[in-house]
Amino acid sequence: MLYGYSCPVGQIEFHFHLGLLTRGNMSLVDALHNRPYRVKGIEGPDDERRRLLDLGITPGEVLAVVQSVPLGDPLVVMVRGMRLALRRREAEWIRLQ
Amino acid sequence: MSSAKTGTPVYHIEADALHPPIDAESKLPTVCLTGAPNAGKTALMNALTGGSFRTANYPGVTVTLSRGKSKVEFGRQALFVDLPGVHSTSASSPEEELSCQVIEGRHISVKPDALVIAVDATQLERHLRFASFVARQRKPTVIALTMMDLLPRIQRTINVRKLELAIGLRVVPVDGRTGWGAAELITAVNEVLAFPVTQKDALAELPEDPVAAYQEIRELLDNSEAIKNENLFVLANDSFTARIDRIVLHRFLGFPIFFAVLVGLFSSIFWAARPFMDLIDWLFSRTISALLTFLPESVLSRFMAEGVIGGVGAVSVFFPQIVILFFLMTILEDSGYLARGAALVDRPLSYLGLHGRSFVPMLSGFACAIPAVLAARTIPSRRERLLTIWILPLMSCSARLPVYALLLGALLPGSAWSAGLALGVIYVSSLLVGALVAGLISRFVLHRTAASLLAMEMPVYRKPLLKPMFRMTWSRSSSYLRRAGTPIIIISACLWLLSNFGFGWRQERPAEAVRPSLVSVSDLDHSFAAQLGQTLEPALHPMGIDWRVGVGLISAFAAREVFVSTMAIVFHVGGDQESQQDGLLENMRAATFSGTNQKIFTTSTILGLIVFFFFSLQCLSTVSVVRSETNSWRLAALQLLFYTGIGYLLASALVVSLRLFGVN
Repeated sequence: MLYGYSCPVGQIEFHFHLGLLTRGNMSLVDALHNRPYRVKGIEGPDDERRRLLDLGITPGEVLAVVQSVPLGDPLVVMVRGMRLALRRREAEWIRLQ
Repeated sequence: MSSAKTGTPVYHIEADALHPPIDAESKLPTVCLTGAPNAGKTALMNALTGGSFRTANYPGVTVTLSRGKSKVEFGRQALFVDLPGVHSTSASSPEEELSCQVIEGRHISVKPDALVIAVDATQLERHLRFASFVARQRKPTVIALTMMDLLPRIQRTINVRKLELAIGLRVVPVDGRTGWGAAELITAVNEVLAFPVTQKDALAELPEDPVAAYQEIRELLDNSEAIKNENLFVLANDSFTARIDRIVLHRFLGFPIFFAVLVGLFSSIFWAARPFMDLIDWLFSRTISALLTFLPESVLSRFMAEGVIGGVGAVSVFFPQIVILFFLMTILEDSGYLARGAALVDRPLSYLGLHGRSFVPMLSGFACAIPAVLAARTIPSRRERLLTIWILPLMSCSARLPVYALLLGALLPGSAWSAGLALGVIYVSSLLVGALVAGLISRFVLHRTAASLLAMEMPVYRKPLLKPMFRMTWSRSSSYLRRAGTPIIIISACLWLLSNFGFGWRQERPAEAVRPSLVSVSDLDHSFAAQLGQTLEPALHPMGIDWRVGVGLISAFAAREVFVSTMAIVFHVGGDQESQQDGLLENMRAATFSGTNQKIFTTSTILGLIVFFFFSLQCLSTVSVVRSETNSWRLAALQLLFYTGIGYLLASALVVSLRLFGVN
């Protein structure tokens, strides 16, 4: 984890990102802009999941939301040197550490 | 194929993606250019062959297979085939499927002897992963390292020699846009063709699973020390693209800028093209009248002049508009803005069951449906692709413009601004109706499936280079001429024959008068077209028009603008070419149903005709392109019937109800 840490307290794991308490299971939609995050895993239907992995969004990879589009829907994500427009639905599948 | 005098070779063969022609005599090795979308393949193709191909800064522009021989000065020639970009080897769009077929050697006619993989130097990991899929085929392979000029922007240097050693394939840095490195690439290709190397090919041994493959690629690159000074995080470094994105994708400014770009695009299509269109129109009408004067008066000369040259003229009049549209689209694509536009409208479009990428075909649809249908190939999911193609005929294409101009001139005589306003309303409502149809169909007709993936690459902004841009504009425009021109000319020639021939009775020999024979009729009233029109007259009755206008509607199936010239023929406008439009309007206003003094062109019938042209798919070229793109006659025929039927029903309903309310 680059900018945060997590600490287990009893059964619950608390996640701190940039000093903020975040949800334990955070997706790309919740990510702050222009901050690097590490991918934990990808959910979603098999075909779409495979395609996101093919694009280089693999567990352990670092990515960041660099821009959101006026209607707030496609998020522009920087990953492996590429700017990628992802719909919120797709960003939801990308879980972050 | 090279011209001996100038030494500038011209190699440019563009073929249908599914049926590329096979050069029987060519014994040249076939080299396929592959790579992930937007890796610079097409620019490289341009540099290698000196030909003109589609190149653009928009992912997935290569929608047809283009092929050409490499330039002579680069050494031993090879036949290069540009394959569509592949995002993922689990192919989802027809383009990707085609590329995978060729690479794996499953394609019927394109069998590569060697492969060149375009790899974007700024996105090595992702592109090398695709390269590993290609390398697994164990064919002679060379990697062309593109986008080298962008490396300083992300503060990176690449040691090509070390990279070569690490991945076990020849790597040649190139710049397709300037042609730098093209000769070295050809040399490398010839070397691997002559000596198929058996050295350790690390790329081919990468695992297929994406997670493991990416991991190994990173290790490979790290161990090789080929990349220097790479920041883990490059986004801050390419601040140029980020800064422009902050403006054009701004929360409040984003859409105003987008609409300003669109308005600018359309106004320049209409204003800048106008003088050229007038010139072409004038040239063709002069040629026709000159031919009619100088050639001996015969059926053949009239057929040549009016049927053939007139048909060519009908196509070429729109050529300036198409050229300007393609040129402006090329600027937008090359600079990288088009992908942003597609991202901007993805949300509203996906609500309608379309895709962000549907935006480009819809935009082209306002010039002509034919390039628009072709552009729909870049949409990955079949459902969204078909839905986009389905609504494209509604976009108000430029062939409708002269028809609207004529009808609005008749409806609102003498007030240019209100006609202009009405035209604006027609254009906007064509977009709205298209959205409505798409929304209704995706909600009620098509099976409900999960929305597809957007995952669209936003290329970095680059300054478009003039020369490749002109080359591409020309290649797209000429391919439009070929694709749309041939059917229009054939159909207009056929329609000329139909409207000038008919079964008549020869007057001079009364004995044979009972036997009808094929004669040339000077009078339209006895032609096949007239007979067809008269047969259809009861059906035209609800629209409030007579058979002469019906003939116009039928002839408009060649191309909508033919309606105007048919109106000129059936309402007997002749003589002075300059005042043809005014003469036609005058004759139309005076026209009555034969035998009565009931006017044909009244407020209600003109409105009805506008509605008919708004909906009706009166363009057989579009039907044929839709058929070849969807590979389904049923869909193309259904589309034709659907829109023409809706147009007819709505026009009739409008005329009948207007008359009911006393508007004549």
